[in-house]
Amino acid sequence: MEYKVEAHRIMSISLGKIYNSRVQRGGIKLHKNLLVSLVLRSARQVYLSDYYGGACLGSQRAEAGEWAEGETMESLEGRSSPGAAGADSCESETESRETLRAPETNAQASVEVAAERNAEEPASSSDYNWPQGGETDEERAPGQAEDSTQVPSCPVPESRFECGAANADEGPQSPAAAAPCCTRKRSAGKSPYAGSPVKRPRPGSVPPANTEGGDASEDMDTGNVSSLITIFGSSFSGLLSKDGAQAEPGAADGDSGSGTICCEQMLPNLSPWSTAIVAF
Amino acid sequence: MGEDADTRKINHSFLRDHNYVTEADIISTVEFNQTGELLATGDKGGRVVIFQREPESKNEPYCQGEYNVYSTFQSHEPEFDYLKSLEIEEKINKIRWLPQQNAAHFLLSTNDKTIKLWKVSERDKRPEGYNLKDEEGRMKDLSTVTSLQVPVLKPMDLMVEVSARRIFANGHTYHVNSISVNSDCETYMSADDLRINLWHLGITDRSFNIVDIKPANMEELTEVITAAEFHPHHCNLFVYSSSKGSLRLCDMRASALCDKHAKLFEEPEDPNNRSFFSEIISSISDVKFSHSGRYLLTRDYLTTKVWDLNMENKPIETYQVHDYLRSKLCSLYENDCIFDKFECAWNGSDSVIMTGAYNNFFRMFDRNTKRDVTLEASRESSKPRAVLKPRRVCAGGKRRKDDISVDSLDFTKKILHTAWHPAENIIAIAATNNLYIFQDKVNSEMH
Repeated sequence: MEYKVEAHRIMSISLGKIYNSRVQRGGIKLHKNLLVSLVLRSARQVYLSDYYGGACLGSQRAEAGEWAEGETMESLEGRSSPGAAGADSCESETESRETLRAPETNAQASVEVAAERNAEEPASSSDYNWPQGGETDEERAPGQAEDSTQVPSCPVPESRFECGAANADEGPQSPAAAAPCCTRKRSAGKSPYAGSPVKRPRPGSVPPANTEGGDASEDMDTGNVSSLITIFGSSFSGLLSKDGAQAEPGAADGDSGSGTICCEQMLPNLSPWSTAIVAF
Repeated sequence: MGEDADTRKINHSFLRDHNYVTEADIISTVEFNQTGELLATGDKGGRVVIFQREPESKNEPYCQGEYNVYSTFQSHEPEFDYLKSLEIEEKINKIRWLPQQNAAHFLLSTNDKTIKLWKVSERDKRPEGYNLKDEEGRMKDLSTVTSLQVPVLKPMDLMVEVSARRIFANGHTYHVNSISVNSDCETYMSADDLRINLWHLGITDRSFNIVDIKPANMEELTEVITAAEFHPHHCNLFVYSSSKGSLRLCDMRASALCDKHAKLFEEPEDPNNRSFFSEIISSISDVKFSHSGRYLLTRDYLTTKVWDLNMENKPIETYQVHDYLRSKLCSLYENDCIFDKFECAWNGSDSVIMTGAYNNFFRMFDRNTKRDVTLEASRESSKPRAVLKPRRVCAGGKRRKDDISVDSLDFTKKILHTAWHPAENIIAIAATNNLYIFQDKVNSEMH
């Protein structure tokens, strides 16, 4: 589908911009990199949506009940991290999450999330609209997106892996590039910014009913990539919680679980990212 | 809205005959002072050029007050931050004049990190007839001095002296995007991406942080401050805009740290216009209070909006600046044009607003008649004293003669910085490295 091609192109362009910003005169421009990272995230979600649209539908149904309670702790960051988990990439998912989340206005959940930026209404005049998902509200498994343990089960193409690897290479760049979670406007009633750290992916979740992963080697590859995506998607939450003990106060305990899984695979690539956080 | 054009093109580039532009000459800010007598421009090379309006001459009544160069000085130099291994650009981001309190003029100029207060004064007399020194300043041989004389002030050629009176450094970790002088004439604020500091004009080693939106965890960063301004009359009120398209009005009386806004101005996004780039085009690039203090003018990528301070949920007026670009956002993203930060301006009576666009076009919107006009600032299309011809961009459909099609717009020619004289219909337009000053000879019956 052409939107996927465009999404990939936009991702490449965005990464190029982030990379070039490192060598630009005057230092890294926070505002521009923030905007670029928002576009990158949007494009990534659209790009990945195709792969998980079919694969994870079945597993979503199975877990719909489990995740309902995870709703309150959810933040957009956690939700978008898992482009890899694929669940949130399913368009109807996000729609249903919107409706589910609407009543959840407690301070912790609110953070930055007011309107979902993945609203899937087609935009008639723009070139690059969010593709209209075919799924219905039945696939209500919003919290499922949090689960990074689900990650290895979904196949990811090679090119995505390269893209992910490129992310890792860009390590010591503006963390703001990967940082922002929510892109939507805040409604007037909500608190301006996170008082507490955002929710991390839930640990120990029920493994998906369908494992699409295939053979072990592919799992390893996809696991790596998915972890990269998860880390990138959740900004640096995976990194910061890598030894579990560093889980930030108030963060869900799930932090360490999923973080560990990601980071065991990604440890060699982590240090430039950590350096980036500190430096900026 | 025809205008007689008294076009003065000040080309900073000494490579006049070549077509390319020296980057250091690109004008980065334009600002009239409170009376409109002086016009200051800053450029990417860290220089400030001040123009002064000539008093109207009886001999040539048609030649109504042209602007000539008054002073030029180097405000900021490139610096290097050794700790972070970052070069600090000398580009002047903003200039703001202080209200005049004595014979001298004061202005604040800022680059990404440092704000400087400059004193601009005139010297047109000098003392002559010293007893101990001769005309060249050398000490006299005392044996030749036989009588005492009182030195007298003699007129001399006008000399404009500029000196840095204060340097407000090390106040900002991020890039300063705005400065604004308070109506109390004693304090001013400077805003960077995440923080706003309040300074006293006389104190350089301390500032108060009044807004801080930096999250404890940088990975939770979702928006940055893009512009900030004090209310023109109420010294306790100021507004700042964000990259998410919201405006916050803050009252400094409420608390020392104004993280809680007194009012939040935000318009819900139109879901029909959703795209990859919705966040970028909703980021506010400039905010200006009206002269009355009742309204706010904001500019985002495609529109300019007027907000009433008394109504927070939506603007009272929205003007499409160049909506034909909405379908081209991806290309504009690729060539970085989507990140361009356009400024906006009110006229003196708050009845007309102005903002720039591409192809050296700029737009004016009359709030009362709801009419708008597109004009072009270019050498080819405007001779001195010619009337500017309204332009039109055709986005498909019927194309009239002289229309410009969207595809032939030159996106390298952008008018980001514009300024309107505080009282008269005189506008200053910065087109890359050229400054255009247009005057409206027709009197105020139109406005």
